[in-house]
Amino acid sequence: MAGDKPKLKLAVYWAAACGGCCVSVLDVHEKLFDVVSAADLVFWPIALDTKYEDVENMPDKYIDLTLFNGAVRNSENEHMARLLRKKSKTLVAYGSCAHMGGIPGLANFSTREEILRRVFEETESVVNTDKIRPVPEYTAKEGVLEIPEFYNDVRSLSLVVDVDYYIPGCPPQTERLLEVFTAIVTGAELPPKGSVVGADNKTQCEECTRKKSENKKIKKFYRPWEIKDDGETCFLEQGVICMGPATRAGCGHRCIKGNAPCRGCYGPPSGAIDPGAKMMSAIAGIIDEKEPEEISRVIEDIADPGGYFYRFSLPVSLIRRKVQ
Amino acid sequence: MESNTNCRIGVYICMCGTNIAKMIDVESVAKFVSSVPNVVLAKTYKYMCSNPGQEMIVQDIKENHLNRVVVAACSPNMHERTFRSALRSAGLNQYLFEMANIREQCSWVHKDTEEATLKAKELINAAIKRVVYHEELESMSVAMCPNVLVIGGGIAGMTAALELADAGNLVYLVEKENHLGGNLARVDLTAPYLYSARDLLTERITRIMNHKQVQVFFESRLSGLTGFIGNFKATIGKLNGEPDNVTNQVEVEIGNVIVCTGFKEFDAARIVHYGYGKLPNVITSFELEKMIRAGRIITKEGKTPKYVAIIHCVGSRSQEFHTYCSRVCCMTALKYAHEIKSANPESYISDIYIDMHAFGKGHEDFYKRSSEAKTLFLMYEKDDRPVIHKASPKDDCEMLIEVNEKLSGELIEIPADLVVLMVGMEAREDSHDIARLVNISQDKDGWFIESHPKLEPVATTTDGIFIAGTCVAPKDIPDTVAQARAAAARVLARISKGKIEVDALFSEVIEDKCSGCRLCNQLCPYNAIEFDDVKKISHIISALCKGCGVCVAACPSAAIRGRHFTDQQVLAQVEGLFET
Repeated sequence: MAGDKPKLKLAVYWAAACGGCCVSVLDVHEKLFDVVSAADLVFWPIALDTKYEDVENMPDKYIDLTLFNGAVRNSENEHMARLLRKKSKTLVAYGSCAHMGGIPGLANFSTREEILRRVFEETESVVNTDKIRPVPEYTAKEGVLEIPEFYNDVRSLSLVVDVDYYIPGCPPQTERLLEVFTAIVTGAELPPKGSVVGADNKTQCEECTRKKSENKKIKKFYRPWEIKDDGETCFLEQGVICMGPATRAGCGHRCIKGNAPCRGCYGPPSGAIDPGAKMMSAIAGIIDEKEPEEISRVIEDIADPGGYFYRFSLPVSLIRRKVQ
Repeated sequence: MESNTNCRIGVYICMCGTNIAKMIDVESVAKFVSSVPNVVLAKTYKYMCSNPGQEMIVQDIKENHLNRVVVAACSPNMHERTFRSALRSAGLNQYLFEMANIREQCSWVHKDTEEATLKAKELINAAIKRVVYHEELESMSVAMCPNVLVIGGGIAGMTAALELADAGNLVYLVEKENHLGGNLARVDLTAPYLYSARDLLTERITRIMNHKQVQVFFESRLSGLTGFIGNFKATIGKLNGEPDNVTNQVEVEIGNVIVCTGFKEFDAARIVHYGYGKLPNVITSFELEKMIRAGRIITKEGKTPKYVAIIHCVGSRSQEFHTYCSRVCCMTALKYAHEIKSANPESYISDIYIDMHAFGKGHEDFYKRSSEAKTLFLMYEKDDRPVIHKASPKDDCEMLIEVNEKLSGELIEIPADLVVLMVGMEAREDSHDIARLVNISQDKDGWFIESHPKLEPVATTTDGIFIAGTCVAPKDIPDTVAQARAAAARVLARISKGKIEVDALFSEVIEDKCSGCRLCNQLCPYNAIEFDDVKKISHIISALCKGCGVCVAACPSAAIRGRHFTDQQVLAQVEGLFET
């Protein structure tokens, strides 16, 4: 694959992430041999014994391609984002958290104070009578101890540093990563900077094989477990909120194929600024009631609308966070 | 022209005499505006809307090669058109313009000069940020098919059809009965001049049946309508007795539709205590018409009635049934008094009413003449209806009617051999189907809603669909005919223009972004969205779109773009408000 060309230098890093993105890279299975024959993995905390210091010692632009997954939640995440930006020719926001803030981004519905209080004082399993909270710096007998500073805001990668490409998904589909990787290795023409790659331009509905009609009139919204899905009608027409119409295709609509509504991890199609707001106004249009009280009743059936419509995208949405 | 470097914006700040200048420091505003990126010049002037003001804009556009203009003045409602035309005359597309309202929304409503001046800067800054993203837009025109569909062959439908056909246009007239004439064909004489209804109709029916430009579909109904103004396709089907079924469907191409489906009479049996349907000599006004037309006013027993009572407002002006006045019954009742009296001068007539509505031309005189003809008028209170009893054998009449007479305050008992119930008008049962087919609205009583009750009485909110006659609301024959001719005139005006202009501000589906989720399909209040079954995407018929933006907001894929109201334009404007 690599031929005479020098091997590509590849880095993979996780910030505020669950680890799923790194696993999706491992999911290349036997194709890993192709990857390592074309690229040297120079930094990958989940799989290689490399230290931050090693990265700091690299010359600028030393790394050809960095797949950065996870959101930026604390000072360590931010430090690594800035460092890897400096050291990488191409920086890719890999996965929903780096792309849009992802699940960790839902913490922006709370303030730092609320989160720390809940976790360190109020959680049912916690006994902390002295109300001790973690602090970034602590002087002990042995010297000064440091932990990263916990920020008030969760940010996507592009809210912190300049990002070249986005590969969406929670996690991204491994085949789509390989497509992108192959394109870079073979020197194929790359799309303009800032593009979402490894995904399609239209939305889930383009691929979805469920029957769709214009008859989208909803008198009650259901959570998926509350109804018996007929397996073939558009989820929305059955009253189950599916983020598919507001979500970029490219994952192979796996959730829908598995009879679960789309959660929106691939993010909005290009031009849609705020998928949560988009989906809410779309939902507003199909409520089949006239009286304000009736409309309120229908809307109240939607459990946790913030978490539902902004599940992956709150930090990059128009509202961005709860106002303090 | 998204690149900011190509943008050359001229900003004009109007003083509106002192309307703006007394509260806003316009020179300070101009100074601020000059420093905003892309602004080439910023000027203040006493009256921007005056001819010298407009000429200044035209000259600046030419001399300074401006390609965007912002005017900060009054409401765009007031002068947007004025300034757009100034841009046009300078050879610049009229949509490369934005107005900032610093009068109604600023100088008039604030008391602090400093704050008002700051707000004016913010409003103008927002307009400047927005206008950068404005695009050249052109209005379009589409052809107007001169054929017209008229639904309903009553006096309204026939009048409209003849008007259009005489002007040389092909008219398809659809009538559900096997004859023309509608409700008027059930009437003998008309009030107040006692012209024969038959005479009014016969001439028209004959002309229509022989007219080369009118094609009448009897026992038929409209079963489908697609397309848009100027370009409709209507399907007409033959009724075959089954409600949801038509046969022998024919498709015709038309440009406009006039709906003249008329009314049906109130079902008197719904007011149980009048005993209609049980007491043999309690009849409706239409049943009396039938007797009059047959030339014999008699009771069920075949006798000439000595005492005739006429009860007004049967189903009308009542909380229980219809709250509205049916408009024609009062005069029709007077006409009956006259007709019954002519047929049998020995008869006694009682006219039992709530209020005597004699509002039309010649009606008051008609009422006066009738009261001189020795009709006994009795007034009853709304919802305190007269009570009909069977008379005893010793009485010389069939029935006795008890009336709480309002003017005298006494309970009066009057004899009757025949009781005539003046049944009101109501919307036809199938009016909902018609409304759905042609996409027009109905009010709470089922009458079709006009586009504006005073200024647009025969137009509807759907372009190309007109309404006339008693399907809109109860009315008499002159009003019905006037509406029919008005609707025909509206259609003729469009036909003579030959095409219709489509405003440049419509919404459009970006085809390579639409995934066919169909969420927008039923949202359009103008039925402008259709689904392309081949491409599997939605499509907006620009001729029908009014640019309201409902679909733009609702499209979860951002695949619908509202021209002149793009996300980019609106967000730039919002951001502009917070920069100053």
